[in-house]
Amino acid sequence: MSTNANTGPAPVLPPPRFSRGAVGWARDNLFSSWYNGMLTAVSGALIVAGLWWGLKWVLVDADWTVISTLGGFLAIGEYNTEKACEGQNCFWRPQVSLMLVMVLAGMAWGIARGGTARNIAILAAAALAAFAFLPYSFERMGMDVRLLMAANIPAVGVGWALGRHTRLGTVRGVAFSGVGVFVIILVLLRGLPGIPGLEPVSVIYWGGMMLNLLLAVAGIVLSLPIGIALALGRRSHLPVVKALCVAFIEVFRGVPLITLLFMSSVLVPLAFPEDFPLNRLFRAGIIITLFSAAYMAENVRGGLQALHPGQAEAGRALGLPSWQTMTFISLPQAIRNVIPAIVGQFISLFKDTTLVTIIGMLDILEFGRSFIQSYVLEGEVVYLENQKELLIFIALSFWVFTYGMSYVSRKVERHLGVGER
Amino acid sequence: MQNLITSRLNRLTYKGIPVWRHAQVIQWTVQIVSGVVVVALVAWFFTNIGNAISDRDIPFGFSFLSREYQTPIGQHFLPYESSDSFLYALVVGITNTIFVSVIGVILATALGIFVGISRLSGNWLVSKIALVYIEFFRNVPLLVQLFFWFYIVLALPTVRESYSLGNIIYLNNAGLYIPMVTGNGVAQGFIWMGSAVAAIVVGVLVHKTRARREEQTGSASYPVASGAGAAVVVGLAGWFIITAINGGFPLTITTPEAQGTFGRFLRGDGFELSGGLMALLIGLVMYTAAFIAEIVRAGIQSVGKGQTEASRSLGLSALGTIREVTFPQALRVIVPPTISQYLNLTKNSSLAAAIGYTDLTNVAKTMTQTAPALSIFVLIMAAYLAMSLTYSLIGNIYNRRISF
Repeated sequence: MSTNANTGPAPVLPPPRFSRGAVGWARDNLFSSWYNGMLTAVSGALIVAGLWWGLKWVLVDADWTVISTLGGFLAIGEYNTEKACEGQNCFWRPQVSLMLVMVLAGMAWGIARGGTARNIAILAAAALAAFAFLPYSFERMGMDVRLLMAANIPAVGVGWALGRHTRLGTVRGVAFSGVGVFVIILVLLRGLPGIPGLEPVSVIYWGGMMLNLLLAVAGIVLSLPIGIALALGRRSHLPVVKALCVAFIEVFRGVPLITLLFMSSVLVPLAFPEDFPLNRLFRAGIIITLFSAAYMAENVRGGLQALHPGQAEAGRALGLPSWQTMTFISLPQAIRNVIPAIVGQFISLFKDTTLVTIIGMLDILEFGRSFIQSYVLEGEVVYLENQKELLIFIALSFWVFTYGMSYVSRKVERHLGVGER
Repeated sequence: MQNLITSRLNRLTYKGIPVWRHAQVIQWTVQIVSGVVVVALVAWFFTNIGNAISDRDIPFGFSFLSREYQTPIGQHFLPYESSDSFLYALVVGITNTIFVSVIGVILATALGIFVGISRLSGNWLVSKIALVYIEFFRNVPLLVQLFFWFYIVLALPTVRESYSLGNIIYLNNAGLYIPMVTGNGVAQGFIWMGSAVAAIVVGVLVHKTRARREEQTGSASYPVASGAGAAVVVGLAGWFIITAINGGFPLTITTPEAQGTFGRFLRGDGFELSGGLMALLIGLVMYTAAFIAEIVRAGIQSVGKGQTEASRSLGLSALGTIREVTFPQALRVIVPPTISQYLNLTKNSSLAAAIGYTDLTNVAKTMTQTAPALSIFVLIMAAYLAMSLTYSLIGNIYNRRISF
């Protein structure tokens, strides 16, 4: 029996050393050709120079005191000042609102059982709790404020327990709690006459990042259903309904938001009696919502158009009436397909809330601008000259939220398998 | 009683079906009700405004348009004086908006394509730099960015200590001053522009016919070279003819000039980009380019890998593959969203109101102090709608040409 010991496959040799590990990675990604090598050298030099200059500015040249000086104004505006909230301390109302939001985040973590929801809840609570340790004097930031900040961590825990162990622990439960929390927050911030500790605070004092977030959340919650209704109206076979929807969408999309906001501050008050309870906050909120709804309608319409007509036909063939076909068959698929566009619209709505600055509302950007020359702190005039630092800080604050939104959107897309079916 | 009502109602039929269950009846009721409600709301809104206006003695209508505006406009590209009419001032505002929009669109497209292609670069560092650029500028509100650039511009040296390049370009906190080409007299300027346009048209036509010949016969016809040559020949001919008729050079180059004590003032010749306009252009271009870059990246990635492979196996070069196969297909995906970015840029230019550039919205906002607000809003909404529709129209024509 002639045997050959070498009938098996030859042993697999390791790849050459220069194509493995860090060296191999650099060869493939940075120096694959002379041209790429040059690009790497140039952009590397740019990065080093930029980092050197940027870090030097951030650590040495920049004067960040402006941010600690303005402090709470950037967060909640003039809400806790004497003129807004006479003879009482109102700081706890925004803070409790924040804790309620954290409870919601905890509930989301509870029903998602980990993953992105957990990371976001823990990160947000930890970041907020860190504010309790800001190096302010106790006169400027009292123990009560710090304790309420630190209480965000147990708030997430409570939310998690609610989501995990009670009947609220369903997606629907969290959605309803979300709406409930939003209403509670509005009542809490506005106050109720006659209840001690909840004296009314006029909405003209709502400001800072709180104002941007409130406008954005209200806009997001309302613009999606209005947008869906407009999209359905635009696809309707009824000529009058269709014409009205097309006119609304095209007018709101064709004109800059700023023009509409000017109109809301100049023209709309003329249409109502002097004492009509429609202040500029609501006017701005309504305009931003309608503007966003017009864009949302076009996104949803795009999703509906991309849907194969066979889906709706199958629904009708199964005997569903047309409104059920739309609600249970067409819309869910259409919206799932345009999630990136919808979230993009949410992000741009959030960014657009800064435009209320131009009609004189005190959002975070207006604080960054109107207090640039001087402002009064505890009876003394403080002069501020470091606008760049303030604007960079505001830019980064927005970036955290908008980037977070697009991150969550990517996760949701992957979860729903968009583009894979 | 209950039965009586039901039986009476059941007798109200249309083509044998009870009225409230007949599809056509329901549809028409819905339409009539919604139409009436909307018309009533709009009428109520405008009647109230009308009443408020007559209460406050603000004249309503468009008669104010011929009155003198009597307010200065900071930067203007058309000649403007305070004694000009409201209507002309609005036209000046519209030109300012169009100027920002056109220059911004050109620069943002160039930067956006550059960043989008860098994002796809095989070079890890280049692609990551592009990613950081896109994620930062897309996610920060434009108004914050505009304020930032405006403060950067304001932090530039004063006029007295301008940065200057060879004493013809000046940069200071009032703006950027660059040389400008002007025709000697309007009529000659037009003749000159006409001959330039003729040169371009002839060049394009020659290029097209040569390219078609090359495509059909396969013999080398050098379309680019012959087109450019024809354009140069026509342009030179025009130049000599105009110079001969005029007996002189038809164009003048004017430069800004430092004047006054210590070179403190800049003479108004040349071309001035005011500080607000500079900040607005930088902000709009950086912001919009980040969006265009993402569109370009998605467009190029949307072309299947097989297309590139097939083209390479047919023997096309790498550059030829991009030019003839990948890019034309990517354009179909790229063009529609890019047009909506152009529209966004045009509309976003109204943020100029915040940094002191006198665009249409800013001029109109100032006008509402001395003229009826309602009429002004009607006019500027019409102007913006017209601009949007023009962009959409141009975009749609181009889109139809490149689609299947």
